[in-house]
Amino acid sequence: MKNTKYIMWLLVMGLSIMGCSDLEEEPVGLLSPDGFFNTPGDIQIAVDGALTHAINEQIWGRKLSVALMLRSDMVNVQSSQARRVEMDMHTITGNNEMVYDPWRRIYLGIAAANNAIEGADDVVAADDLKNPITAQAYFIRAWYYFHLVRLFGDVPYIAETIDGSNSDFYRNISCTPEADVYKNIISDLEYAEQWLDDTTAAPGIPSKGAASAYLALVHLTRATSDARESKDFNTASLYAQKVINSGVYSLDDNFQTLFNASESANSPEMIFTLDYNNVEADDNAYDQVAPMTGVRSDDDDQGWSVAVPVMAVYDSFEDGDYRKRVSFQTEATIGGTTVDYTNFTISGHEHAGNMPYIAKYTRFPGDYARGNKRATSIKYPMMRYAEVLLIAAECAAEAGDNANALKYINEVRARARKGGVSTNGGYVPETVPASAVPADLTGTVTVADVIEERRVELAFEGKRWYDIKRRDLGDQVFGASGYEGLKPDWNAAVDYDTPIPQDEIQSNPNLTN
Amino acid sequence: MNLKTKLTLMLMMIFNISLFAQDGYQLSGTVTDESNTPIPGINVIIAKTTTGTATDFDGGFTLNVKPGDVLQFSYIGYVKQSVTISNQKSLNIVMVEDASQLEEVVVVGYGARKKSDVTGSVSSVKTEELTAFPVLDASQALQGRAAGVDVQSNNGGEPGAPISIKIRGNTSINASSSPLIVVDGFVGGNMPQAGDIESMQILKDASATAIYGSQGANGVVLVTTKKGKVGRLNIDFNTTYQVQSTSNSLDLLNANDFAKYQNNIRVNQGNSNAYPQGPYDTDWQDMIYRNGSVVNHQLAVSGGSEKVKYYASATYFGQDGVLVNSDYERLTFLSNLDAQVTDKLKVGVNLVGGRSQKSGVTTQSNGSVTVGGDDVVSLAMRFAPDKGVYEADGSFSTNDAIGDAVDNPYAVATERDDDTEIDNFRANLFASYDILEGLNFKTTFGISGENTFRGMYMPRTLKITAGTENGRAIMQNTKSESVLSESYLTYNREIGKGVLTLLGGYSYQQNTNKSAYNEGIGTISDSFSYYGLYTATSLIQPTSGQVYTNERTIQSVFGRVNFDFNDKYLLTATVRRDGASNFAENHKYATFPSAALGWKISNEKFLEDSNAISNLKLRASYGETGNPSIAPYQSLASSEVIYASSAGSTVAAITPYQMANPDLKWETSIQTNLGLDFGFLNNRITLSLDYYNIDTEDLIMVNRGQPDYLGFYNNESLVNVGAMNNTGFEVFLTTNNITNDNFTWSTDFVFSKNINKVTSLINGDDWFGNGAPSYFSLEDTFVLREGEEVGQFWGYDYAGVAQSGGAPAGTAAIAASRENGVVVPGEPLFRDLDGDGEITDADRTMIGNPNPDFTWGFTNNFTYKNWDLNIFFQGSQGNEIFNMTAVQLNNGDSNTTYDYFNNAWTPSNTDTNEPRVGNASFREISSRFVEDGSYIRLKNLALGYNLPSKVIENIGIEKLRLSVSGQNLFTITDYSGLDPEVSYFGAQGGTNGNNQASNTTRGFDFGSYPTVRSFSFSLNLTF
Repeated sequence: MKNTKYIMWLLVMGLSIMGCSDLEEEPVGLLSPDGFFNTPGDIQIAVDGALTHAINEQIWGRKLSVALMLRSDMVNVQSSQARRVEMDMHTITGNNEMVYDPWRRIYLGIAAANNAIEGADDVVAADDLKNPITAQAYFIRAWYYFHLVRLFGDVPYIAETIDGSNSDFYRNISCTPEADVYKNIISDLEYAEQWLDDTTAAPGIPSKGAASAYLALVHLTRATSDARESKDFNTASLYAQKVINSGVYSLDDNFQTLFNASESANSPEMIFTLDYNNVEADDNAYDQVAPMTGVRSDDDDQGWSVAVPVMAVYDSFEDGDYRKRVSFQTEATIGGTTVDYTNFTISGHEHAGNMPYIAKYTRFPGDYARGNKRATSIKYPMMRYAEVLLIAAECAAEAGDNANALKYINEVRARARKGGVSTNGGYVPETVPASAVPADLTGTVTVADVIEERRVELAFEGKRWYDIKRRDLGDQVFGASGYEGLKPDWNAAVDYDTPIPQDEIQSNPNLTN
Repeated sequence: MNLKTKLTLMLMMIFNISLFAQDGYQLSGTVTDESNTPIPGINVIIAKTTTGTATDFDGGFTLNVKPGDVLQFSYIGYVKQSVTISNQKSLNIVMVEDASQLEEVVVVGYGARKKSDVTGSVSSVKTEELTAFPVLDASQALQGRAAGVDVQSNNGGEPGAPISIKIRGNTSINASSSPLIVVDGFVGGNMPQAGDIESMQILKDASATAIYGSQGANGVVLVTTKKGKVGRLNIDFNTTYQVQSTSNSLDLLNANDFAKYQNNIRVNQGNSNAYPQGPYDTDWQDMIYRNGSVVNHQLAVSGGSEKVKYYASATYFGQDGVLVNSDYERLTFLSNLDAQVTDKLKVGVNLVGGRSQKSGVTTQSNGSVTVGGDDVVSLAMRFAPDKGVYEADGSFSTNDAIGDAVDNPYAVATERDDDTEIDNFRANLFASYDILEGLNFKTTFGISGENTFRGMYMPRTLKITAGTENGRAIMQNTKSESVLSESYLTYNREIGKGVLTLLGGYSYQQNTNKSAYNEGIGTISDSFSYYGLYTATSLIQPTSGQVYTNERTIQSVFGRVNFDFNDKYLLTATVRRDGASNFAENHKYATFPSAALGWKISNEKFLEDSNAISNLKLRASYGETGNPSIAPYQSLASSEVIYASSAGSTVAAITPYQMANPDLKWETSIQTNLGLDFGFLNNRITLSLDYYNIDTEDLIMVNRGQPDYLGFYNNESLVNVGAMNNTGFEVFLTTNNITNDNFTWSTDFVFSKNINKVTSLINGDDWFGNGAPSYFSLEDTFVLREGEEVGQFWGYDYAGVAQSGGAPAGTAAIAASRENGVVVPGEPLFRDLDGDGEITDADRTMIGNPNPDFTWGFTNNFTYKNWDLNIFFQGSQGNEIFNMTAVQLNNGDSNTTYDYFNNAWTPSNTDTNEPRVGNASFREISSRFVEDGSYIRLKNLALGYNLPSKVIENIGIEKLRLSVSGQNLFTITDYSGLDPEVSYFGAQGGTNGNNQASNTTRGFDFGSYPTVRSFSFSLNLTF
């Protein structure tokens, strides 16, 4: 039959393209974790993932950095969003976005660090090739847990990657005691200090000095915590000395340079920074600290007027202190008119306020900062040499070593009287002369003196709340005599620890702190 | 009627001539259809003999007859005719199409059945209904026409807006609830143009859809395009011109009242800064709306011989939307060619191609771009009316005294570019071979593809959106491709009084999707629009959702048995087994069975002779179908790429994304259907009733219960734990009220009731979603709760305005509404459900249900001589709407309505339900903004006139029809917003939505492109 020919053709046509597939998925275009780690470069890729979560909007881009400002006694909320009011008034719940966003993002960073650390095991290379890279992951893991332990106290501590084999265990774990978290932080930093390079291409890449400086701060912080160990101040002091004596770092002559995005990376003072470089990707840069602190309707800032110091904070800075000039914006150009802070409301905006604004992040955000000075190239200082000096001073004061306490604190104060090139409202460069009033403290330097120096030196850098907590200053600074006046909801018994996010407790009821 | 008269005259003539009877002679004649077109191939037989012939190509025949012979004329699709021969020499027969017989064949998956033999629940929609008024997408024409079918534009009257179809309610939460579209046998085809569609069948119950297995759970729409018919060349030209306008606008404050309003707010808030009123008075709604228009032209040629039939058509659709700068154009080609190669072999090809171009403006913004500053419609409501379009320096104005800064709506509408070009094609070949009597083999092979280019540009003239970044350009290309090959055998055999039909086949389907994406800021100049992307100084890193490639393969075997006994008892059973690459490792294959029984009661002895009941059939079916629900690679472990800043440069980095999930499986729907078809008075009245129950199990739920501290970038894991139930009742009633020569009146009534119930959620916990724009900074605005319908509004129960003397018992105000512990008069009160005197999360409750009690459509068709009139009402009853627009407009940081401005509480206007202006409530979700969304809408009113053939015959035209129609001419509703047919998907949505949003986020209204009122003028010409 000639028709069989047709049937044959039809069958061929119908069946030839079907083939027989086993339906295994070949993930074209999917980044699969299996077999990813082959070279030290692959470890670096995973390390960079761990590092970059820190600059996310949910951590230093805005949520944590602003939360730390608001919780301190130096920054008020000029607008009315409930989550920020809670931070300012210490009525924080576990449903606050500024609690659960940083929590989530910090744990993303930790998981990425664990991924790098475990991935390094798959890489066949000499220790001196791969360990300096892996050590960055240890460093940043410690950095993340250090924030967690200071914010929340006991937290779930995870130091391995999670897959089907251990996920059930970790879903149900309890919080790790603060003391154990500190021990793990210290051991990570010790590994980091051992293997990290002495110097790195930028202060945003962890170096040996960064690990030493953080070992100093971690011990200093633990020294007044429930997890304290007897030699903590001493150990903190030793690590601080190590950094001071390394000769790698020194104070920057111009305090303004530290907050100048184009210059700060090269400052000899920067030990560890979070670097933004104006890259907008779905999940990285994009810091918004500048608009959050910027003057409403300022022609240049177009700030949102959210985190704003009260007048008393401005007044608390000495007039001859150059840091006052660098830290505060006292003039703004609004609708073409340059006015001082007593007229910041001429814009008519409902959230405009007549007081000096924070200037550390709005003045020199870098060449590419976009609308409202979002997405800057600021290098936010996390650890700078001045803080190491003040750690050394605090430890000296604790140890009754007044000579060293005076030496270190005065070194910081002296720089703050040097003046330098800065700007104000119209963003016109002007040279501020050195102060005629000498800066040297004399007599006995108390711990309170050092804490006060930290408040001024490190103003609006996310340090003050942690200082209030570790030195139990809450009742004092949130009382009627505090800069912001009485905070009626402040309760030292419960408000030092941040509540663990409510959703997390719901997912795992074993979490309580 | 005309033709009927003709025919009668003809018959009378024949009868007269018969008086002069003679012996055997040669009779010749022609056979034509009602439009006078000769019909070839008509069987002409002398009754009770084997003598006969068939008409030739010109419809002619010759036959030896003698007076007294009865000639029978028959052909499928025409009413059989008998003529008794007297002694006439020639005979002209006009064959009348057998409408009932044509309708009786319905397409089902992989075959066709006589309608009377169908055991499943199938709705058919006629061509005339699809083309009653111009629609962008043929699916739109289904609204109110088919029971159990819910059709909605995803964005009001936006040119080119996607249309969503849901059959028998929501069957999923995370997977698509849209039906499978099968065009001329091609699974997953694009909906053809309405004018090219011969018929549309909607398969609703599992016995009808289970043959599509894992793709059948949401119902199947089978579309059959027009084919050529034997006969001479036919040319159809249809053209429509439509003018459109917005059907509604909000009554917003003018500049002076706005300044007054803002100052009142400031007074109430203790703010002593006076509102700095600008010198303008701009009606922003007026600025962005215009009269729109649609033109639609279709040219189709068709015809064919016994051997080859063809149909080819080109359609142009062009629309200027009612929002400035929103346009859409589309050109589509379709051709169908069938060839009967031998007696047994038939081959054919369907070719479809098209191109569309859309220039859009953003509406229904998800709110993520500068506090909703890209959303033209909501901006026009929000923006300060005391501002002009331009500032003194000639730049576009921005608002700078209230709320967050945004660009003005006119600037956003006219300055932004958003162009989408879509090219699509489909080629489908088929061959069918009759191997033996009753045994047929059919194979099809097809490829379809779609290429989309999208270009967007935000110029620096939009100071807030793109000013300081100096222009933002985006270009995206996506490409999707589908290859389908199916082969099946059909065997048909009579066994005694029974008819057995068997079907068995194999299907292979592969889909590929690819996307490339580029975004940059800092272009050299705005004048290049997005073409200047290459000049961008800084490129934005794309995400894995923007640049991707994925593939999916499905292999299936399927079979069906039909057994009809004695034309009374019907049995249908199907099974399909699917294997899919995207199914997780431990569940690669799935089997979906179904069975149905039918009983033609009217064919039983006791009803056979009933005059009243002409048809009565009982149907019952049960079956399981699936929803593929798992995206390619979704069950595999993966890492996410993120970008890091390292020493001043940007480097790619990785972070863990998700764990492997080897146990993930498809969602299964188990459906029972009971149906009853009635025909009364010789089918002058037909009624179909259907009751169904659908249990959907293994619904894939997002487990947000995965702790964040596990550190996965995707903190939502997927689990098959959800379940949902849909129960419903459908009525389809057609009555031919009056039928006489000059006047006919018929009525169609469609009624659908669906009760949805969420029956299982993770740990039985409520599941919350957000239907608000992201800049509202709200989280939970609706809830899924076991035992309730999907998408219940979630918020505070509004309890009116506080008067002096504090909050009445059972109510409370938020902390910010109180001074010294006492609520300030004029502030809003809410029910204090937990009685703690505070308004907290614990006081939130279900405050509204967006699901209708029922929906309906009511069509009346009248014809009078050459005139016809179509009146189509459609409505929805009992659904509630959450008016998110009112939340924004009553919040103080934008313009507002006169309604609120005049009714808000003041010390001298205390008898009101509206709180004072500038109250402490901040964009609260409360029952204050829940409204009844029921409506009755005159969807279409159309008047048509067919020119008498006598008039047009002379100029060579066979048919000429003129019609005028109006759409959405009026709507009866209590809803205070722009339009009760709302579809806003909130923060996660956007115009295209995502599955979860479109399944669960219902009844929210915010910034949608307005629904339009239109007038259309149409001309239909046939040569």
